[in-house]
Amino acid sequence: MKILEINHIRKSFGALEVLNDISLSVEEGQVVSIIGPSGSGKSTLLRCATLLETMDGGDLIYLGKYAARDQDGKSVYASAKELKSIRSSFGLVFQNFNLFPHYSVLRNVSEAPTLIQKRPKEQVVAEARELLRKMGLSDKEDAYPYQLSGGQQQRVSIARALAMKPQILFFDEPTSALDPELTGEILRVIRDLAAEHMTMVIVTHEMSFARDVSDHVIFMDGGVIVEEGNPYNIINNPKQERTIQFLSRFN
Amino acid sequence: MKKFAALLIALTLVLSTAAMAETVTFKMGIDPEFPPFSYMGDSGEYEGYDVEMCKAVCDILGWEQEIVPINWDTKLVQLNANEVDCIWSGLTIDVLDPEAYTISMPYINNTQVVVVKADSGIASTADLAGKVVGVQLGTSADILISEGGDQAELGATFQEIVRTESYNVAFTELAAGSVDAVAMDSSIAATLIGDSTDYAVLDETLAAEEYGICFRKADEDMCLQVQRAFATLVEDGTYKSLAEKYGIDVASLCMLEEAA
Amino acid sequence: MTLTTMIQKMSEGLGNTLSIFFLTLLFSLPLGMIVALLRMCKVKPVRAATTAVISILRGTPLMLQLLAVTYGPFYLFGASVARNKLIPVVIAYSINYAAYFAEIYRAGIESMPVGQYEAAAVLGYGRAETFFRIILPQVIKRVVPPVTNEVITLVKDTSIAFAVAYQEMFTIGKQIANSQSSFTPFLIAGVFYFVFNALVAWIMARIEKKLDYYR
Repeated sequence: MKILEINHIRKSFGALEVLNDISLSVEEGQVVSIIGPSGSGKSTLLRCATLLETMDGGDLIYLGKYAARDQDGKSVYASAKELKSIRSSFGLVFQNFNLFPHYSVLRNVSEAPTLIQKRPKEQVVAEARELLRKMGLSDKEDAYPYQLSGGQQQRVSIARALAMKPQILFFDEPTSALDPELTGEILRVIRDLAAEHMTMVIVTHEMSFARDVSDHVIFMDGGVIVEEGNPYNIINNPKQERTIQFLSRFN
Repeated sequence: MKKFAALLIALTLVLSTAAMAETVTFKMGIDPEFPPFSYMGDSGEYEGYDVEMCKAVCDILGWEQEIVPINWDTKLVQLNANEVDCIWSGLTIDVLDPEAYTISMPYINNTQVVVVKADSGIASTADLAGKVVGVQLGTSADILISEGGDQAELGATFQEIVRTESYNVAFTELAAGSVDAVAMDSSIAATLIGDSTDYAVLDETLAAEEYGICFRKADEDMCLQVQRAFATLVEDGTYKSLAEKYGIDVASLCMLEEAA
Repeated sequence: MTLTTMIQKMSEGLGNTLSIFFLTLLFSLPLGMIVALLRMCKVKPVRAATTAVISILRGTPLMLQLLAVTYGPFYLFGASVARNKLIPVVIAYSINYAAYFAEIYRAGIESMPVGQYEAAAVLGYGRAETFFRIILPQVIKRVVPPVTNEVITLVKDTSIAFAVAYQEMFTIGKQIANSQSSFTPFLIAGVFYFVFNALVAWIMARIEKKLDYYR
C-alpha cells in the first residue's frame, strides 16, 4: 500500500527554484533516505511533505487522500478540516528537536494524543511511558527538556512523534545538531524502528547509516533528483558525476 | 365618601411634603489647598471661611451642602461639566467673562501683594527688577504679571517668573531662597506669614480685585437664591464673625460697607 | 493636625490609589495582549492603525490622556462627566498601560523560535491551541521582568490622578501639606509608595521564581 505519493512538486522562493518536478512514493514499511549537499532542496521537500511549506505545483497524497492536487500547474490544497485529519497520519522529527520547554518529558509526549486526537488520557499516558521505556528514558518522565542531553532530547522528540501513531515518520537531519558521540544512540533508535517496519523518510548526512537502514536512497542536487535506487548501488557505486563528486567528500 | 375625601387630601399632603422634603444637593467646588478659605482642617474635614459660609447659606435654603475638591487648573471645565454647581473658594471674579458665567456680587476685597523676606532689602516693586518672583500657576497673580496682564510691564523687569503648583510650594521656595519674592492674594499672605517676623508685605499692591462665587451661565436663579441667603448672613453678623474666626481682615469685607 | 489624623486621611486616599492600581492591572494586562495581537495582525490596515494608536499612547503624557478621557466626551458631545472619577481614571490608565504591555508582549512573542510553532503544527495543534498552550506560557515567563518595571511605574503614576481631582493618596497629601504648611505628608507619601513597591517587587520575584522550573 502506498503511504505517501508526491507527484511533480515545484517550489520557488522568489526567483530561486528550490524544487523542480520532484516525484516520489513510499510504500508501507519502506525506509527512504534522501541525501545531497546543503541547499539541494531535500529539507524543503520534507517541509512541503509535512505541510510546513506550501508547494507551488504538484500533488501530495497520503493513503490515497489528496492533501494537495495539481490543477493547471498549481497546487490546490484540501480544506482545513481534511488537512487536519491528514496531519495525524504523519510525524516529523526536527533537527533541533523543538521540544516544548515548559512541559515535562511525559507531557511533551502525551499532550497531543489527548488534546488533538482526543484519546483517553490513561491509555495515552500508559503508551507514552512504554515509548519512553523503549527510548531508555523511563527515569526522565518528570524531567524538563533543559535537564536532558541533546541525544536524550531527540529521543523524547521521537517518542512524541510516535505517540501520535503516525503511518509514516519523517526525520529532518536528526543527528546534525548532536555531538558525534551522541549520534549513535539516535541512529540505533531509528534502526530499531526500521526493524519494526516503521515507514520512514530520512534526510541525513550519515551515508553508511543511510545505506544500511534504507530500502531506497534518493540523491538530490539543485532541486532535482539526480539519482535514486538501491542503497548499495547509490552509495557504493554511483553512476552520475554529481553523485560521485558528492560522495567522494564522505570517504 | 367624606372619609375617603379626607384620606385623599391627607395622602396628597403627605406626598407633596415628601416631594418638598426631597432636598437639593448643592455641590460646592473648592480648591482644597487654599487656606483660610477652603482647606483640610486638623480633623481631616474640609473647612475654612468659604466652606462655613456656604454651609450657612445651605442651612437657610434647606439645601444639602456637598463639598467637592477640584483641580484649580481645570476648575471652569469641571463647572461646565456639571461636576460642581459653583466655584466658591476665594475665587477672583475680575478675570472671569461675565458673558460666559453667572457671577455673584463680590463678598471680599482682595489685593494682590508681594511678599519678600524681611531682611531682603526689597522695599518696593521697583526693587524687584532682576529678581526671581514666584506665583501659583493659573492664579490671578500669575495672570496679572504675565504677558497681557495689567502688570505685565512690571513682570517684564523680573529676571524670571517661577510658576509653582500651589502657594505652599511658592512660599517654601521663598523661605529656601530660590525665589526672591512671591506675588499672591493678601488674605493668603496673611495666613501663610502668620506670626512670623521673617517676612514682609510690600506696601505697594499689584492690583485690587474681588472675590465672588461663579455659577454656570444658566443657573441665574441659583445665584440669586444664594445671594439672598448670603445677605441674611451679612445682616445677622455671621459674615463678620466667621471672618474674625478665620483671621480675615474685617476691612476687606466689602458687603459691610454696602450694608452700612 | 496630628500625625495620626494625617496618616488616617492619607490611608483613606490609599484605598483609591489601590483601586486605580488593581483595576488598571486587571484591564490593561489582558487588553495589552489583544493590542499586541492586532499589532501583529496580517491585515495591513489593522496593523498600521494599531501601530499609530500605540505610538500616540506612548508618545503623549498620561496626564493629557487622563484629561482627554475625562473631559473629552463633554467637550465633543456634551456628555456629562462621570461623578465617580475612578471610571475615567481607570479607563485612561488601562488604555495607556495596555499600549506599553502590548509592546512588551509583542517583543516576547516575536522572540519565540519558529520551531515551536512548527512542532505544534505538525502535531496538529490549531492556531488557538498553539497560542494558548505552547506560545503564551513561554511568553509570560519571558515578559515578567519588563512587566515588573511597568507595574512599579504604575504605582508611582497613580499620583497623576490629581489632575482630575481624584482623591487618591497623594492628592490628599498635597491638600494636607498646603493646609497645614507642612512637609510631613510628602514624607508619609514617600513611605507609602516605597512599602507598596517593595511589596510589588516581592510578589513579582515570587512569580518569577515560580516560573523558574524550566528554561
